[in-house]
Amino acid sequence: MSLQTLKRKFGQPTNSGAFGFSGSYADPIRNIDWILIAVVALQSIIGLFNVFSTTHLRLLDQEFDPYFYTQRQAGYIIAAAAAAAIVMALGHEWFRTQVGALYGGLMLLLVLVLVYGAVRGGARLSFNVPIVSFSLQPAEFVKPVILILIASYFSEASDTKIDWHHFVMSLYIVGAPVALILIQPDLGSATVIVAGVVGILLVAGARRRYLLMITGLSIATMGTVMVNGFIGTYQLRRLVSWLNQDSRDKALESVVLQVRFAKRAVSTGGFFGKGYLDGPLTNGKYIPVQFTDFPFSAIAEQFGMLGGGVVIALFAVMLWRVWRIAQMARDRFSFYMTCGIFTLMTFTIFQNIGMTLGLTPVSGLPLPFISYGGSHMLAMGIMVGLVQSVHMRRLE
Amino acid sequence: MAINNRSRRLTALGLAAVVLLSSLSVRMWFMQAVQAKDNELVVLAVRTRTIRLLPERGRIFDAKGRVVADNKRILTVTIDREVLKDPIDRLEMFQRLSGPLVMPIEMLFKRYEDKRFGPLEALPLKEDVSEETALFLAERIEDYPGIYVREEWKRNYPFGAIGSHVVGYIGAILPKTLAYYKSIGYDPNERVGGYGVEQSYEPILRGTPGYVRYEVNAQGKLLRLIERVEPIVGNDLHLSIDMGLQQFAEQALETQLVLRRRVEAGNVRLPDGTLDPLFPDAVYYKAPAGSVVVMNHDTGQVIAMASYPRFDNRWFTGGVSSNKFAQVFPQTDDPDLSVLVNRAISGRYNLGSSFKPFVAYAALNTGQLPGNAAYVFDDRGTYKLESIPSDRCQQGVKCVFRNAVCRATGSPCRFGNVTVEDALAVSSDAFFYKIGEQILTERGYKPILEEQVRLFGFGSPTNIDLPNEFAGTIPSKALKKRMADIGAISQESGKAYYVGDQVLFSIGQGLLSATPLQVAAAYGVLGNGGKLFTPHVVQQVLAPGTPDKTPGVADLTLSSVVERFDAQEPVSTVDMTGDRLAPIVRGMARVITGPGVNFDYYHKTTGELLFKGYPYDVLPIAGKTGTAQGFGNLPWNDSSAFGAFSLDPLQPYSAFAYLEKSGYGSQAAAPVVKCIFTALAQRYKLDGVIAADPLNIQSGIAAPPSYLRNPSCLAGGRSDSRD
Repeated sequence: MSLQTLKRKFGQPTNSGAFGFSGSYADPIRNIDWILIAVVALQSIIGLFNVFSTTHLRLLDQEFDPYFYTQRQAGYIIAAAAAAAIVMALGHEWFRTQVGALYGGLMLLLVLVLVYGAVRGGARLSFNVPIVSFSLQPAEFVKPVILILIASYFSEASDTKIDWHHFVMSLYIVGAPVALILIQPDLGSATVIVAGVVGILLVAGARRRYLLMITGLSIATMGTVMVNGFIGTYQLRRLVSWLNQDSRDKALESVVLQVRFAKRAVSTGGFFGKGYLDGPLTNGKYIPVQFTDFPFSAIAEQFGMLGGGVVIALFAVMLWRVWRIAQMARDRFSFYMTCGIFTLMTFTIFQNIGMTLGLTPVSGLPLPFISYGGSHMLAMGIMVGLVQSVHMRRLE
Repeated sequence: MAINNRSRRLTALGLAAVVLLSSLSVRMWFMQAVQAKDNELVVLAVRTRTIRLLPERGRIFDAKGRVVADNKRILTVTIDREVLKDPIDRLEMFQRLSGPLVMPIEMLFKRYEDKRFGPLEALPLKEDVSEETALFLAERIEDYPGIYVREEWKRNYPFGAIGSHVVGYIGAILPKTLAYYKSIGYDPNERVGGYGVEQSYEPILRGTPGYVRYEVNAQGKLLRLIERVEPIVGNDLHLSIDMGLQQFAEQALETQLVLRRRVEAGNVRLPDGTLDPLFPDAVYYKAPAGSVVVMNHDTGQVIAMASYPRFDNRWFTGGVSSNKFAQVFPQTDDPDLSVLVNRAISGRYNLGSSFKPFVAYAALNTGQLPGNAAYVFDDRGTYKLESIPSDRCQQGVKCVFRNAVCRATGSPCRFGNVTVEDALAVSSDAFFYKIGEQILTERGYKPILEEQVRLFGFGSPTNIDLPNEFAGTIPSKALKKRMADIGAISQESGKAYYVGDQVLFSIGQGLLSATPLQVAAAYGVLGNGGKLFTPHVVQQVLAPGTPDKTPGVADLTLSSVVERFDAQEPVSTVDMTGDRLAPIVRGMARVITGPGVNFDYYHKTTGELLFKGYPYDVLPIAGKTGTAQGFGNLPWNDSSAFGAFSLDPLQPYSAFAYLEKSGYGSQAAAPVVKCIFTALAQRYKLDGVIAADPLNIQSGIAAPPSYLRNPSCLAGGRSDSRD
């Protein structure tokens, strides 16, 4: 059913209803993708339970409240839902108009975080926001903003093909924040942003050589920073351990063991899993940072192939809904942005579950909606809001 | 915007996502369906610590309930291997432990590297530490992380050397049996029965180990108790061995051997009666070893089983150094010296004339003797083979076989007209030469004699419940070929089975060999009228928990039996109908009581003089002497054999003694058996069985000597007959 048909059928929207919403079928409020919302909500709830199962024993060990992280995650979910609602209400077009300011602000934060950021695991990724003791990770918010900016930029190009000028400009736009993120260093976020941009380039009709170029450039950049020791040997170790997952090298031990136990946790889950809160490796705290980086190992251990399958299936449904929204997007900007978000989410999911299964190297990427983390939940909420907004306003 | 282009690109994007998510699913399926089992095991091992709880080993009681093997609770210090992972921590920990454990650091490192201790279990550092040491470590658990003091059991043998060949000992699992024990769930560092009933009843005595399993986290900290399975105490064994008689048999055997060493063996004389210049000096009997078996022939239960040289089984639990151990139990190729051989079941012995009763039975059972018991043979001291033509005899084939020499005449004894009964009483070789030859030549050279003696269990293991039993050999074509193949005899002589072989076989020489236990069991068949039993040293397997009546003596009336061997069916029966048994028994009774035969002069039977003082009216017996020719047929190499069985159905005992290189049957072995039956007839006051002195690890001898308090039962007139 095309746009024209619908418009003919239901007539032009009028702005006469309460809160400025009309009774038209094209009214944004009537076009929320409830399936997407349901799926995301379900994933978040699964995530919440998973956060509890992976953290309560660790907290008890430290004589902390075992619900500490779970409560916080619940707060993040609510905050993310609120963020999504706000984005939906404001509409993605509004963000397009504000993207310059947002980009500038984030660049500033990225610079500041390098100086004032809290050091965690040898990297300066986040600010500790005092009062609510929330650790703000600017790189997470760069993700939606970059995608909006690039989508907006490319949608203004007249041709269906991206020309050289636009391509080079996009490299500058993306390159600046990515470089700052690499310095932090947060290789995972950097690659995910590039992946999202590549997704937009793909659908925007970039020449094949551009795609090759940006891929080559990314690899070269990564190679350079690694060889220079710019990011430190830690990231390099993750890559080497991925290539030698059975290595007995002492230097690689921490990463190798982390992945090995994650894999064992998944493997021993079997079909039905060990049962909630009965995962021996999860309970034994064998997998460091399991609640942020390896949540899937806890799900697969406790709920087995069934639980892991459900989570992957829910992601599939979520991605299908996003893909469908991209298909229905009313304009080029919406289309590009949605595709960018689709690519970014796909890449993040694959990368996170993949590293749990030993398919991809370890990186600090969270699993959308499931991993513990405020910034990531908020960023995901914003991205879902943007996609919803595209869906809601597709008939306007 | 070109819609087509857009949808094509979007499809590509979607497909990429489908591929990525599918690869995740496939990978997850592979890990959870295919690799799950292996990983499950690994994870189980990694995330748990198992502490084995060893069961208390079953006790062993003798026939009267005396505890011959029990357990002492000891404390063993172990350490969690996780604590020792880092080489620096390991060294530091060992340095600190060396003092309290009184153990050099090198020894601790040796332990650490010892492959016997499983990599996933706590490493035992020292066994049998004092309560004080255990307490010292327990109070300083913060300084000694990973240390655990566990209770274990140490085997204790209160009577030391008495019956140790039967009781056996426990020790480390030997490399060659490691795979077997692992396969039935043993831990490589467990101690298992290495000899005697400790070995043959190993799984029954051992019980079932229990364990405590804890879940641990990645730092090795105990999270929770997963399960605790209590060990199940092993079953007790009730032996048929009576330690009183066992001690007496060992004393009689050792006393007699020592006495025989003071006796000069006869000189070697040339056919003309002059001294052989090769052997001008008098030689004493070496009497290095021997064995006695006493059994109840109505049940197959072994009452005493002595083997000399003896050893004290506490050497194996004494924790002595390997050097010391090698000094006590030297590795030797000299069969005279080997200590760790139970000669009663492993001795491969020629039997000499003590085998004749079975040849007699073969003749009577197959009708080889015309007129059977009434058949009379004129024994003129020699027997010339009838089946070999005279011309071949003149070409050097041995055709003429002689009786043993009679001291009175200096030439082979001549017994005149003898029946089978007489032949047994005075041990006429010629009579049996004839049977041996003719049972072969007159019956188409079939192995009739072999088949007949096999009825009594010769040539096959008795299947007694002890390890390392020798099956014995019976001369036959197949045996000769096998022996030639392994190089024991020349290829030339291994070619065929000759009449000469058969003739030697008929008097218990040549390639015939048997263990003392086999002969005792075979004599038992004569004693019980034809029933062949599987001998047993264990009469009952008892459930754990039999209380002690007095310290060291179990109250067997309160025990519950798991399995019993004391009322078994015979494995086979030998036809003793008609006049098959009586002439044999009569002949063998005459060996004890006389009379002999009159020819030229009165020939006493081989035991007549010796058993003069024996209380025959209390416990009537029948027996047979045997002298087995040793190497070179030299007099000092004669081994002495004597077997006897009771004629009183209410006292169904059979006994057999064999004393290596100790002289004639009537000189060495017969007195020992006489002592045994004197004791069985309650005419000898046995020594009390008292707990042995603590093992003297300085001594360096396998077992202290043990002699008869009153050796008078060994005394008595000796026959001069080498039979």
